[in-house]
Amino acid sequence: MLRIGIDIGGTFTDVIAWRSNDGNSRTMSLKVPSTPPNYADGFRNGVDQMLDSIGFHDDEEITVVHGTTVSTNTVIERSAPPIALLTTAGFRDILNLQRLRLKQPTDFFNQRTVPLVPRNLVFEIEERLMSDGTARRPLDLEEVRAVARKARDGGATGIAIAFYHSYRNPSHELAAREAAREELGGDFEVSISSEIWPQIGEYERAIVAVLNAFVKPKMQTYIADIEHYLSKRLPKARLFITRSNGGAMAASEARQFPVQTLLSGPASGVSAALSVSERLNGGQYLTFDMGGTSTDVSLIRDSRATISSSAEVGDFPLSMPVTEIEAIGAGGGSIVSLDGRVLRVGPRSAGARPGPACFGHGGTEPTVSDAYLLCGYLDPDYFLGGKMKLDVAAAEGAFSGLSAAMGQDGVRCAEAALTVATSNMVARVLPYLARHGADPEDVTLVVYGGAGSLHGPLLAAEMGIRRVLIPPTPSVFCASGGLVAKLIHDLAMTVQGLDIDANTLAARFGELEAEARRWLLQQIEAHQLVSVDIDRYAEMRYRGQSFQLQVTVGADDLSGGSLKGLVDAFHDEHQRLYTHSDREAEVELLQIRVRISGSLAAPGIEQGGRADQAAVAKGSRPIQIGGQSLEAAVYDRSVLTEEATVAGPAIIEQVDTTILIPPKFTASVNGFGDLILIRE
Amino acid sequence: MDPVRTAIMNNRFTAIVEEASTVLHRTAHTTFVKLVQDYQCALATPEGDIFAYPSQSGVTVFIGLPLQETLNRIGRENFASGDCYITNDPFFTDGLVTHMMDVTLIYPIFREGELIAFGWSFVHASDIGGAVPGSISPTFTESFQEGLRVRPIKLFDRGRLNPDAKNIFLDNSRIPDEMWGDFQAMLSAMKSMDKRLNQLCDRYGTAAVKEGMNEVIAFAELKARQVIAGIPDGTYSFSDYLEGIEENQHAHITATMTVKGEEIDLDFTGTDPQVAAAYNFIIGERTHPYVTQALTYYIMSVEPGVPKNAGLLRPIRTKAPRGTVINAEYPAAMGSRVAAGTRVFDVILGCLNQALPDGVMAAGAGMVGIIVANARDPQTGRQRVSVLNPIIGGGGGRIGKDGIDGVDGRSGALKSIPTEVLEVETVMHMRRCHLVADTQSPGRWRGGAALVMEIENTGLEATMTVRGMNRFKFRPWGFKGGFPGKLGEVITNPGRADERSIGKIRVLQMARGDVVRIVSPAGGGFGNPLERDPELVLNDVRMDLLSQTVARESYGVVIDGNSIDKDRTAELRAELIAKMTVGKFAYGPERDAYNGIWTPEVRSFLAQQILAMPRPMRQRTIEFVRETLTVKGERVTESDVSRALEAANDFLEGRSYGVAAE
Repeated sequence: MLRIGIDIGGTFTDVIAWRSNDGNSRTMSLKVPSTPPNYADGFRNGVDQMLDSIGFHDDEEITVVHGTTVSTNTVIERSAPPIALLTTAGFRDILNLQRLRLKQPTDFFNQRTVPLVPRNLVFEIEERLMSDGTARRPLDLEEVRAVARKARDGGATGIAIAFYHSYRNPSHELAAREAAREELGGDFEVSISSEIWPQIGEYERAIVAVLNAFVKPKMQTYIADIEHYLSKRLPKARLFITRSNGGAMAASEARQFPVQTLLSGPASGVSAALSVSERLNGGQYLTFDMGGTSTDVSLIRDSRATISSSAEVGDFPLSMPVTEIEAIGAGGGSIVSLDGRVLRVGPRSAGARPGPACFGHGGTEPTVSDAYLLCGYLDPDYFLGGKMKLDVAAAEGAFSGLSAAMGQDGVRCAEAALTVATSNMVARVLPYLARHGADPEDVTLVVYGGAGSLHGPLLAAEMGIRRVLIPPTPSVFCASGGLVAKLIHDLAMTVQGLDIDANTLAARFGELEAEARRWLLQQIEAHQLVSVDIDRYAEMRYRGQSFQLQVTVGADDLSGGSLKGLVDAFHDEHQRLYTHSDREAEVELLQIRVRISGSLAAPGIEQGGRADQAAVAKGSRPIQIGGQSLEAAVYDRSVLTEEATVAGPAIIEQVDTTILIPPKFTASVNGFGDLILIRE
Repeated sequence: MDPVRTAIMNNRFTAIVEEASTVLHRTAHTTFVKLVQDYQCALATPEGDIFAYPSQSGVTVFIGLPLQETLNRIGRENFASGDCYITNDPFFTDGLVTHMMDVTLIYPIFREGELIAFGWSFVHASDIGGAVPGSISPTFTESFQEGLRVRPIKLFDRGRLNPDAKNIFLDNSRIPDEMWGDFQAMLSAMKSMDKRLNQLCDRYGTAAVKEGMNEVIAFAELKARQVIAGIPDGTYSFSDYLEGIEENQHAHITATMTVKGEEIDLDFTGTDPQVAAAYNFIIGERTHPYVTQALTYYIMSVEPGVPKNAGLLRPIRTKAPRGTVINAEYPAAMGSRVAAGTRVFDVILGCLNQALPDGVMAAGAGMVGIIVANARDPQTGRQRVSVLNPIIGGGGGRIGKDGIDGVDGRSGALKSIPTEVLEVETVMHMRRCHLVADTQSPGRWRGGAALVMEIENTGLEATMTVRGMNRFKFRPWGFKGGFPGKLGEVITNPGRADERSIGKIRVLQMARGDVVRIVSPAGGGFGNPLERDPELVLNDVRMDLLSQTVARESYGVVIDGNSIDKDRTAELRAELIAKMTVGKFAYGPERDAYNGIWTPEVRSFLAQQILAMPRPMRQRTIEFVRETLTVKGERVTESDVSRALEAANDFLEGRSYGVAAE
């Protein structure tokens, strides 16, 4: 079997492939330029190139796992035709009022997010369910039909429906969808809020349905495009799309529920890091994904990615379980400037175009990447393995203004810029870790992305992180998430306000589990699955509290007809996270969730490039670090053996990445091909 | 100012306080702290200037809060390593605590035996005793009704807990355990700041860290000065009114803002004496962020990257006479001080509008109503108090931007509770919650719309209270041709035979099936509505938020079917412009009538006369004078006031009875 992972970013499309019957775990990777706005072209180029280099047989089974940002871009650019929203009478402004709160209350000119559906395309339906799911006002199907016509006549190309309390009783939404389709034709797209993520909280639930309806047309076209290509080039290939929860789903599912892909890009990297952490037997890991325009982090604890139910996409909340990603700002393209008398890095960015001055695409302002070059971290003749020459003079020129204003030479200015950029990151990462009750000293930083292995070690040195892990191919790490991604699906039931005992709860979990298994078999035939895991969670809180905790429900927690095991687990988690708990207090159950994970054949232990030679430097160059210029030995990663250690300051180069070993750190290669930096 | 060190230290200090604020939030116990985020922690220099203040969580209004006076009174020599002081006394701390619910800790941070910083932290304690659960009622007249008050005492003495201090607080709260949990959360935050600041000294050296503190303050000051330099020099005055508990009980709030170069003086002389209601607060002698909020927000709006610390306040001086609503004296009640704080914001905004060549923003809704229900829990059957929602109302029109619908920027940090959650957890049923058409006050940049909530009690008998309602008498003002905003309104059982308009809610009994409709106020418009882009007017009509009638009458825009009739619009606009006089501020008929009786100058005169009197006389005298002169309905002069003051003296001392008897 051949497995191909493809991840499309703003600048590059990364392709990585693995063949299960080679008897080894070697992967092949390559990068081709992305082709916005027609990303499918980049997909085709990448796959064609990969197939040309690794070959394939017509009867070979092929799994393609693809991460796309088409849906995300659609939301951020708001580039889709108008859709309508049908909601309960009395609440026409649900999308405008949101949760009332403003993002920047101290800014005189701030405003709430402009809704994706304008008010004249929000229609009130005279129906109303009560909180127990009973109808106070029945649904009038004639009214729905009339409104559906109005929506279409008003220019809507799709409809989202979100009725109050539909998480408890979806019947009104289901009937309304049926009526709308009858009226407008079966192929008119209608998304309902109770189907996608049936949680309490009308605004957040409605937004999920609205986002789904909004991105659907573009995603359907895009996936159809890819499928068309695959059917010709690789008739036996199955296509899976990565999703925001860190897993993947069948392409047909992605067409139906494209909202599930909105945050899939960064989630895929975390999934890859998760598999790294699994093979190293758990512990705490902080992912550090630094590219040209942004840097993201995420915490992995005991082989579990952090799941968030309060993520954001563009200006909108995404309240369904997704891999938590904390954006900490700066990337390699962040611009360095003087703000009055003080040095500043970001928030402006040179982006992909013109990009850093040293890239030679017309950028003239100094950026973080230019600073790497001036500090000697990058070799101008060995960027992307020498495919791209970096322009040192342009970088120097870009820093000359700052240099004059600060009365320092360019190299010192560059180092100062990096130190400021690092302190920007510290200001975001420390509070993030604190929110999860984690200490920098206890985490291993897993670095990837174009600039991750340069700046990750700098951040580690500054924050007191003791261990940094650089996977074998950090620059295509998100694509490699596609090689290890499982088919993952989450299901939820809101039980808030219901009087529920252990037996009923077990039965409800059973129902969700059965539904989850049905889902899995819609994605793939059972024999293709290597293993299937079910995780059960409960959202709980002390009665009267207004915030909840996610508790993992163990197999025995509901046994013996008692909730005691579950309640104890809640107290324990509360104690761990908040440092206190009250064993006497009444505990309330809000939501139960099931996550199913079906594993496909995936590469096991990666045997990173090894050779039976001692670590021999291929040269050396001066680097500017810690306020001084030090001579750093330069190594080729591919010749580093498992036994060899490299003491900082040093540089390790590989075709797609340059790795910085700061002073006081020592690098070595582990049995999986990962490079591990340890602080003295 | 070292360009690199300043940037690094600013980031590192920010990281330290953001982390600590997160720790506080994460480990706090009470819902109030968790949900409403009414808490904070920050770092101050040994002198008492806050040099780092979080912005990602907790309240932002205390950026730059001065610790100096409190430290002076305790004596810096009385702080040893491991000490932690606790206080909730607004009077002793002279405004470090602005009302007694804000229990405050002060924690010295030492480096190798040297005091290098102070940690400051507070939580709004959900209950500190007093006459009602939660300790707050607007009707309270003295601090004694609001519960326990403790001047700074040591909660920890060289690392050892002082059990007496702890017990005093716990014995006087209805929820001692939760409160202690919140205190421990504050302590965790303090310890976190202590540890991280010391680590920073390890990394960069103590001297660099100490210099960094002064540099980041200087940097913020520099930025603030740049922004102020952009405001034209001059003296600008503005007055507004805070509606009190009783009918016609309007407290005059006034400020004179003098801009000179890079500095600003704010003089609140003329503001009414403290009131016999819980609307007062105290700011002491130093510049206090609670009254400069509109200015500091303006500075941060122009310079979003400015460090958030005491440097922001350095170019600003405030002067508020002792004994006024905003610099109240013992034993003023302060639980609902947010009402007065909101009005001070409006007053400073009024000054800014006059100072800036084109103005900046019309008045927002000007209230922060918190709707609370006391009813049986549908699940447990027990009586339970639940916060249903905040209700605020639309913001004012802004230069270049319409006002925000349904919320006033000043109170934009509040988050609503989902209707579905509210209905699962309480017996209240939300019948509707939406924007109200034709409440976006006309202007070139119109105001934000009012919000209506219609709530039905589906359970047995319940009680609803709403604290913080205001702008039911005097509208939020419009600016530069913008129309005044809308008044708030409360109607019980709309559409039923017993329908009534009841004004502000204090305590409302609701039987099963009773409905209350609360309509928020809405902010004023900004700029001449006849200059509003007709396309924007058309869009408001399309969105069903503006009727064609108002489009025609207020905007001079004639709409024909789905498009603008350009010729008739031009004609009508020319006609309307000829008839129009554009003033600076549009207050609306209610306030205009009141201004016809009381000019701001005479109200200021009255306030100062009253403040010159002995304290026990002030409250009754001002009410007497205000009442007698207002009912006459004629313009009041200073000599009228002087005569009324004498009459009041006679009356209050019983002499007028004597005269009448003769």
